[in-house]
Amino acid sequence: MSDYIVLVKQVPDVSQITDNAFDPETGTLVRARLANVINELDAQALAFARHMKRISGDANARLVALTMGPPMADEVLRYSLARAADQVVLLTDRALGGADTVATANPLAHAIRRITQEILKCGDDFLVVSGMQSVDGDTAQVPAQIAEELKLPCIAYVTGAEYKNGRFEFTRIISGGSQTVAAKKLPAVITVAKYEFPLFATFAGTRWGAKAPVIQWGANDINAPLIGAKGSKTAVIRVFPPGKSTRKCQQVHSAGELAKIVVESYKKGDSQAATAGKAEDGKYLLPQRRKSAFERRWEATAKEQEDYNLLARVLKDLKITDVNQIDAAAQEKILAAVGTSFQKKALEDMLAGLKASEPAFRGEVWVVAEHSDGVVHPATFELTGKARELADSLETRVGVCIAGENVAHMAQELIAAGADNVYAIEDPLLREFDPTAYRKAISDAVDKYVPQIVLYAATPQGRMLAPMVSYRTGCGLTADCTGLDIRDSSRKGEIGLLLQTRPALGGNVMATIRTKSSKSQMATARPGVMKRLPADPARQGKIVKHQVELTVDDVSLEILKTELGHGQVNLHADAIVSGGKGMQSRDNYENLVGSLTGALSRRLGTEVERGASRAAVEQGFIERIHQVGQTGTSVGPKLYVALGISGAIQHMIGVANTETIVAINSDPSAPIFKQCDYYIVGGVEEVIPQLVDALGAV
Amino acid sequence: MFAIKLKESNVANHSEYSKVSVLVVGAGPAGLATGIQLKVLKPELDICVIDKALDLGNHNLSGAVLEKEPLSTLLDAAKPGWRETDEAKLVLANVIDKDDIMFLLGRNMAFGIFPMIKMARGMGLGFGQMIHHGDYSLSISRLTKWLGGIAKGMGVEVLTGFAADHVVFDGDGVAAGVKLVDRGLNKEGHKEPNCVEGETVQAKFVVLAEGCDGLVTERFVEKAGLKRQSHQLYSLGVKELIKVTPAQYNRFTRGRVVHAMGYPIWTPVVGPGMFGGGIVYAGEQDHLAVGMIVGLDWKYHDFNAQDALVRFKEHKFVRQFIEGGTVVEAGAKMIPEGGWYAVPRDPQTHSIGKGNVMILGDSAGFVNMLKIKGLHNAIDSGIQAAKAIVASLDKPAAAAQRYTENVEASNIAKEMQTAQNFRLTVAKFGPLQGMPLSVLGRSLPKFHVEKDYEMMTAAPYRLKPSMSFDKDTFTAVAATAHREEQPSHLTILDRTICDTKCRPVLHAPCITFCPAGVYETIHEEVKPANPSNCLHCKTCQRKCPFDNIRWTAPEGGGGPRYKRM
Repeated sequence: MSDYIVLVKQVPDVSQITDNAFDPETGTLVRARLANVINELDAQALAFARHMKRISGDANARLVALTMGPPMADEVLRYSLARAADQVVLLTDRALGGADTVATANPLAHAIRRITQEILKCGDDFLVVSGMQSVDGDTAQVPAQIAEELKLPCIAYVTGAEYKNGRFEFTRIISGGSQTVAAKKLPAVITVAKYEFPLFATFAGTRWGAKAPVIQWGANDINAPLIGAKGSKTAVIRVFPPGKSTRKCQQVHSAGELAKIVVESYKKGDSQAATAGKAEDGKYLLPQRRKSAFERRWEATAKEQEDYNLLARVLKDLKITDVNQIDAAAQEKILAAVGTSFQKKALEDMLAGLKASEPAFRGEVWVVAEHSDGVVHPATFELTGKARELADSLETRVGVCIAGENVAHMAQELIAAGADNVYAIEDPLLREFDPTAYRKAISDAVDKYVPQIVLYAATPQGRMLAPMVSYRTGCGLTADCTGLDIRDSSRKGEIGLLLQTRPALGGNVMATIRTKSSKSQMATARPGVMKRLPADPARQGKIVKHQVELTVDDVSLEILKTELGHGQVNLHADAIVSGGKGMQSRDNYENLVGSLTGALSRRLGTEVERGASRAAVEQGFIERIHQVGQTGTSVGPKLYVALGISGAIQHMIGVANTETIVAINSDPSAPIFKQCDYYIVGGVEEVIPQLVDALGAV
Repeated sequence: MFAIKLKESNVANHSEYSKVSVLVVGAGPAGLATGIQLKVLKPELDICVIDKALDLGNHNLSGAVLEKEPLSTLLDAAKPGWRETDEAKLVLANVIDKDDIMFLLGRNMAFGIFPMIKMARGMGLGFGQMIHHGDYSLSISRLTKWLGGIAKGMGVEVLTGFAADHVVFDGDGVAAGVKLVDRGLNKEGHKEPNCVEGETVQAKFVVLAEGCDGLVTERFVEKAGLKRQSHQLYSLGVKELIKVTPAQYNRFTRGRVVHAMGYPIWTPVVGPGMFGGGIVYAGEQDHLAVGMIVGLDWKYHDFNAQDALVRFKEHKFVRQFIEGGTVVEAGAKMIPEGGWYAVPRDPQTHSIGKGNVMILGDSAGFVNMLKIKGLHNAIDSGIQAAKAIVASLDKPAAAAQRYTENVEASNIAKEMQTAQNFRLTVAKFGPLQGMPLSVLGRSLPKFHVEKDYEMMTAAPYRLKPSMSFDKDTFTAVAATAHREEQPSHLTILDRTICDTKCRPVLHAPCITFCPAGVYETIHEEVKPANPSNCLHCKTCQRKCPFDNIRWTAPEGGGGPRYKRM
């Protein structure tokens, strides 16, 4: 008998954002103005836990729902009681507020310990089940970090479970396919990426759940060391609205022309996200490279920048050229000159900051490589390119850390892509990706070499590994960055910080984050956002073999089956071809979408997935799992080709993050033509075969 | 200390929670008023109010103009000091001080006819009731959400996301409770792994406050043999909340309501000839509500109320206030207009409802068409139902009769009677002759009128805009959504009628008039192709020219998500 602890979170409802939810001054989405709901994936996790309970035939298993949040978060606990939970725990305390993922995972892990000891008294016989990520944070870090704190295996991105021979076998998503795994032993943390049968509340259960007691714990009840803003390893320094995407809406008159445009724009690949995070004032220079100590173009926040600009002007007027000349009398004069712009304390901080010239962090800029079947994942090369840029600014080296059974042969390619040192950790136990074994190997290397920055690809593997390594090494981590820049916070005397910019609240706001109280700054970045450098085979680099003590016990999962490529729907693919109602029939969908998918895949050398509008799914042209849009899956590929899709707003919301949208529709007034980059007015049955031919010829 | 009892499923063992003293179907103003008033009179009574909407207020749409009286009566007793609460100040911020009644002639001309209404009032004519000075102009979604909070605070159990299917009777023909709608069926009607069969909620008293054309109400009316002296007549209201500039809003002014007759739905002699009109109300700061209400007895096969709304918005008088604005919310709902003669009653006892089942508000049809208001009567009917329940606790079967006595003695009956002939007269003679004739008021006979759907002809609507209305955007801002994998809640009874009688002559008007674009022709077959876009207005059920469509409640939690309608 296993008991279940399900983690649920109350989140703002980003699916329903009204016009009055934005701050009229800044244009930023105000979280407090959104309605609160249970995080959709947590609702699925609750259903999944009950599903596990059913298939294991374990009628006596108990289910406890746990949440951390303000007092009103008890709504998600009532939600759980109305459906499946036997008991619920609310972790709430002002001291817990303002937490990042570390300071969330830590108290939750402590609460889980207390639940298993005092409420369930179940020893080691339990499973922690949670949604893969929350819609507001979108990081997927907390479950992995809870697993790390509790020293449990973590099975992430789970989509199904079977109960065989007295244990669970889980199906999960991996990069480019799926895998069936089992935990070698319990307890374990399971994160659910998709379970299509969320539970309905019953009338009686809802009434009971509204009256059932909620166990409420504060910070003192769990004694967790890392809580609130104080225990956090990252801090948000700026929140701003995302740049408005402007679609080109350009009509194209022949399939041949369109084929050319599609290939070119795909290859160019400068995403909106990448430009959004691009440094505006050129390459960062360390203080000693600057023309004068007063050159402060790389301040972390706009306010700091503004203050320094003002200070520089005042100093110029006062003819002060050396920071060390500024005595008490000079400070008085400066303060008089700036008026109310800043206070004495701020000036003292700024002057101290001006004297600082040493970077806050030392060490190399690292990339943790991902690979399969002896081939390096493209995202690793992209990150190596970015690491090169950062390392050049910081005047340090780029290291790529690669772990596996036999990886040294990939080193030269990584060096050509920009690496100076390749840290190869080879061990037969690392033959396949096992989160526990890999996080031990990588953490060991990080502890030894202490890089100042560690970057991971935000793939299923990277998003699993990064939080475990960062938690284990005591470092902050920012997920899914779209911008990485070096900046100073000279008011605090900190030079050469990594500023990490990422979308939050479902892409409705952007946040810039910095690491604190950490020896390394860690971030994951979405594949396709950073730019790969052209390979330079002449580049020289070093291979450093790093030995890690691993035993069989470090491997937590038993991999039963791996399926790559086929039979899976990967709407995270770089290119998606979607069919709508205009496809007329299932056969047409199959032929036209199928042929274009194939042609694009061959031409672009990437995975191309099939999508569909809701209407096409309704007509039975294709299975629902392919549905793209507000009620299906939201996608953000580099290329989205919409065939016979009218462009209803519900559909277009779901493709808003796409880089290039191409539309083909026979209706000249189709709304999609106003929301895409390139379009052809024409029947799909006519245009697609021409386009397929042209793609073969380009 | 926290040991939990072992059990198979937490919810299966809570059968005691399936029983309740009073079950109210529909958490609108009428249903919530019932709950609140019951808690005032009998705090220990257990009361559940259920609603099919995901959240309070999500399925409530009205102009809305609210007469102060019944709300004040209700809240003075329930929540002393309510006027000073933040919610009251938000919901009731707009008190009407400018009451325009316009007659629109063509695209540019508008005449104010308020002085005539005032004169009618002076002469004691029915039209004189159409005065709104001192009323609140408000969002009914917000009103509902607020009342729901008050009800909950008093101990009423308000449960959203639960759709009711029908009243369940015991062996003696007395209502035993209400069966809820199944959830977790797939499109073919088979059970999914998460299926929850609709529970039967047992109740001593059942209050039906579902709003216009309620599913449970209409099924109950049929099953219990209730009769209407005259058919229910309906109209369809389509409404948009438009964000405008501060200058436009301030020029319109916060306390103003505009009711417009004439163009584009009625023009003397050349037509078209439909009953209804447009509205422009001030909403919250920088928001104006613009709507079009059209009697369902229109005869044009290609008419869509949204087309009339477009024309209305293009009219010079309206355009000045909304030009350049953004539609931030929209929705559609029917209004029961048949009046006092169309209230369903038991043929023997004349009770509005029967035994322990009472019918309230729009479900009963308490809309005063001379005032074009019903919200105050809905709240009042909730108060009367609560009083009736408390008076019949020992004899639940007498509740409906007691309720009816209360209603007959209340202001509801008084004003409904003065308006009882108005809409029938207009339906019988058309707006041109009917309106003037209706000043004869109660001295007119009860004219026999046809059902709305019988009026459809192959005639075209003369003022149809050239662009087809963008229903996708309309439903998107209505934020309507349903779980996709469920049986269609819309049924065409006999497909051959569509193919042989409707399409050849009338070209399937459902495709045009459904404000959500639910109906489409696919492979030469007319069907409810997009049930998940449905706004629950039920116009299709009442306007299909062959009475060939049935609307049932989809899984609870689906439908529009109005917030400021």
